[in-house]
Amino acid sequence: MRNDFWRTGVVLAAALFILAPVGLIVWQSFLTDAFFSVRAKSTVDTYGFVLSDSGFWSALRNTVILSIGMVVFAVPLGSLLAFLMVRTDMPGRKWIEPAIFLPLFMSPMVLAFGYIVSIGPSGFWSVWWERLFGAVPFWNVYSMPMLVLVVALTHVPHVYIYVSTALRTVPSDLEEAARVAGGSPLTVATKVTLPLVWPSIAVSAVLVAFLGFELFGLPYVLGDQDGRLVLATYLYKFNTLLGRPAYQMMAVVVIFIMLVTLPLVIMQRRMLKSAQRYSTIGGKATRSHLVPLGKWKWVAFAGVLIWLYAVVLLPLSGVALRSVVTTWGPLVAIRDVLTLDNYHKLADLPLIRRSIVNTLILAFVGGFASLCVYALIGLASHRSRSESTKVLDFLVLLPRAMPGIVAGLVVFWIFLFVPVLKPWVASLGAMWVAYTLVWLPFGLRLVSNSFGQVGRELEEAAHVTGAGQARVAKDVILPLAKHGLLAAWLLSFLLYAREYSTGIFLMGQGNEVMGTMLVSLWNGGNIDVASSLAVVNTIVIAGGIALALRLGVRLDA
Amino acid sequence: MSFLKHPALRRPLLALIATTIPCLALAETPAGYPAGYAETIAKAEAEGSVVVYANTEHAAVEPILADFQKAFPKIRVDYIEIKAADLFSRISSEAAAGALKADMVWSSAMDLQFQMVEDGIAAEYQSVEKAAVPEWSNWGDKIYGITYEPVVMVYNSKVIPYGEMPDTRASLAKWLQENKERMKGKVATYDPERSGLGYFAVSADAQNSDDLWPLVTAFGAVDTKFYTSTGTMLEKISAGEHAIGYNIIGPYAYLRAERDPNVKVVVPKDYTVVLSRLAIVTQQAQHPNAARVFLDYLLSKRGQTVVGNEAHLFAIRPDVTGKATIAGLTAEYGNVLKPVAIGPDLMDAIQPMPRMNFFRKWADALKAGK
Repeated sequence: MRNDFWRTGVVLAAALFILAPVGLIVWQSFLTDAFFSVRAKSTVDTYGFVLSDSGFWSALRNTVILSIGMVVFAVPLGSLLAFLMVRTDMPGRKWIEPAIFLPLFMSPMVLAFGYIVSIGPSGFWSVWWERLFGAVPFWNVYSMPMLVLVVALTHVPHVYIYVSTALRTVPSDLEEAARVAGGSPLTVATKVTLPLVWPSIAVSAVLVAFLGFELFGLPYVLGDQDGRLVLATYLYKFNTLLGRPAYQMMAVVVIFIMLVTLPLVIMQRRMLKSAQRYSTIGGKATRSHLVPLGKWKWVAFAGVLIWLYAVVLLPLSGVALRSVVTTWGPLVAIRDVLTLDNYHKLADLPLIRRSIVNTLILAFVGGFASLCVYALIGLASHRSRSESTKVLDFLVLLPRAMPGIVAGLVVFWIFLFVPVLKPWVASLGAMWVAYTLVWLPFGLRLVSNSFGQVGRELEEAAHVTGAGQARVAKDVILPLAKHGLLAAWLLSFLLYAREYSTGIFLMGQGNEVMGTMLVSLWNGGNIDVASSLAVVNTIVIAGGIALALRLGVRLDA
Repeated sequence: MSFLKHPALRRPLLALIATTIPCLALAETPAGYPAGYAETIAKAEAEGSVVVYANTEHAAVEPILADFQKAFPKIRVDYIEIKAADLFSRISSEAAAGALKADMVWSSAMDLQFQMVEDGIAAEYQSVEKAAVPEWSNWGDKIYGITYEPVVMVYNSKVIPYGEMPDTRASLAKWLQENKERMKGKVATYDPERSGLGYFAVSADAQNSDDLWPLVTAFGAVDTKFYTSTGTMLEKISAGEHAIGYNIIGPYAYLRAERDPNVKVVVPKDYTVVLSRLAIVTQQAQHPNAARVFLDYLLSKRGQTVVGNEAHLFAIRPDVTGKATIAGLTAEYGNVLKPVAIGPDLMDAIQPMPRMNFFRKWADALKAGK
């Protein structure tokens, strides 16, 4: 038996990292006031209050609809997109790849606002439509079906990252064999490729469903005017509904979100029961071949373009247009309101430069540090059959049940009330801890999925020849799983770069980040500067990613 | 110069020179401040910085911070912007942990600010500028109003021609009922349930007059849209998606009107609620002197001139002139202005039961119009 001491250590540390915030929330949910208040007494009435509120049930209904909509649309589309990009000879793949990530690093609030400017009732695409067809547009950007559509389409990249990472490790010899035997591209995709990457698709489906439960930005902006709430925006309402923030109400809602996650986790375990059969990185070197699409390749290309148009061009054109005008809408002629002032104003704010630098540090360095944490936890539970790692499997999903702002508040409280941590509250470090916690389920799944794809025989061969666990990790698992590791780093980078709500309570002097700046400018009514900053933000990050991909930091390296 | 030799004149003159010279050496001491103030400044400079937690957005506050830096180059302002309710969470948590970082808290959530006074977070400090600002604008030397911001109506003049827009609550209610079809979905205001500021403003309306309730019924009749953020409302009014915004905070409205000539501001003629961004110096302040110097600066003629004329937040000091000042507003609108009293009554707005009752009445009035 190998020494499992370090595994237990890592698993325990990870469990503490997750359970401390969760425990605090559970405790808070049974109090009448903030846990640190002298007025706080214990009670269970809060649960009754929330359950008897019709607003809760309608928010829950909306959330479930959105969540299901995301799984139903985003998972097949994201998987298909991954297949087209990685496995086929579809034209334009080189430049499409960076574009796929664009929706990921636009703050959801800005994204939603972009849709209002482009296809809202006064939006310029709507105005064009009206001039062209002489009729009022058939869509309503504030309606529920539109919200489902927008939310689903903008989460396609999340699925893409998982599935494409898995696809890149699947050797193509099986597909080739199928093709040689006369299978059409469709047959090859559904009969051969799909089963091979099924675990990754299942994982991404569960994670996307999770994201559905904590959606905030898009429904916050698009559902605002009609008061259409989802759980996270319903929860946020308790910040002001009773006058002072009602933490106990928020805690109860978070606990309900956590309870909903239970069946999802069980479902995921079922789907992955036989995941080990799918380990696909073997000892043989194989060169990957592309599936020729024939005449279908242009159909596929057009489909991808339509998707890009919907999730990138529409919102981005809205924001970009807004950044060069003083106002917009059918009542003004664009040439009368054009201005570059919004960009000049950016230069007047010394903060902007600092926030760009901070964002890049947090996203790049912090993203890498988080990746190391995820890799360590991933290695600890890799091929482990102990009960503790099974428990961990469930635990890692819990942090995502907390909307970002709640997670940030809880991490803030922990730093504040745990004496050894107190000096670091409101530092970039505390912010990093919160980010790492919030995105743990995503990073870890990506990493451990990749670890799972490494053939067991390779590890065992190394063990047999006398390598210890550290050696196996360093020389076998980590190098073979580098696709997944790089993808996890990229994902962390993208998500950290736009994260907003998690940092609100941990912000101190000098650690402003772009996401926070954007949303506060936007909330403060300074949409002029918010739009120009959003454009700069997009250009900076898109440039960074294009450069990285060009320089060879490729997912398929 | 022979009079200098006269002993009766010479002594006081020398005494005057003796007291003036040290003041000249410390040129920063603003004119008219008591002699001991130089010491406060020296201590503040030794502290080196002041940490301000506030909810006024960076872009608006930037000119104030820049001018303060010019006046007191040795005191750095660490300005941290957080939304009102989150600001309250952060302050009360930090204070409970005995780790309050803020030396000053400055927020437009008047009710929550007063709760902090009540919770013992505010320190007592008699500002040297106290005599120059309205007496009602400070309470117990613990909390100071810095601005004088009218709550206004806004409309898009391309949708509603100039002259047609009503300027009282009663006439707006009547007009909306008469133009029900045309105004369907065209009116925007805060959702009092989801916006702390929105509730505060509209409950102040209700206290001033019962005219609010027919207006709420009219809101129901025209399918009014309810928002949580001023930014979105003004943006959509500007774009023509909405035509009227009710209860918009003055500085935002005027700033928008300045950038977009189609957006017009109406100061209601029946009564206009006036809010103030309230500042407190904290009990646990680690830079108490710097906080005092910053507070005095905010209330000083120089500071208020920047607050009003550059930050457009409406100066509360009567001897500052310009458009965005109490003087400018009073000259134009005089007795319709109803500033919210600063005192313990502010906390009525954050008692759960009255709020729930208000929401019920609000919902009923809306439903009556549908």
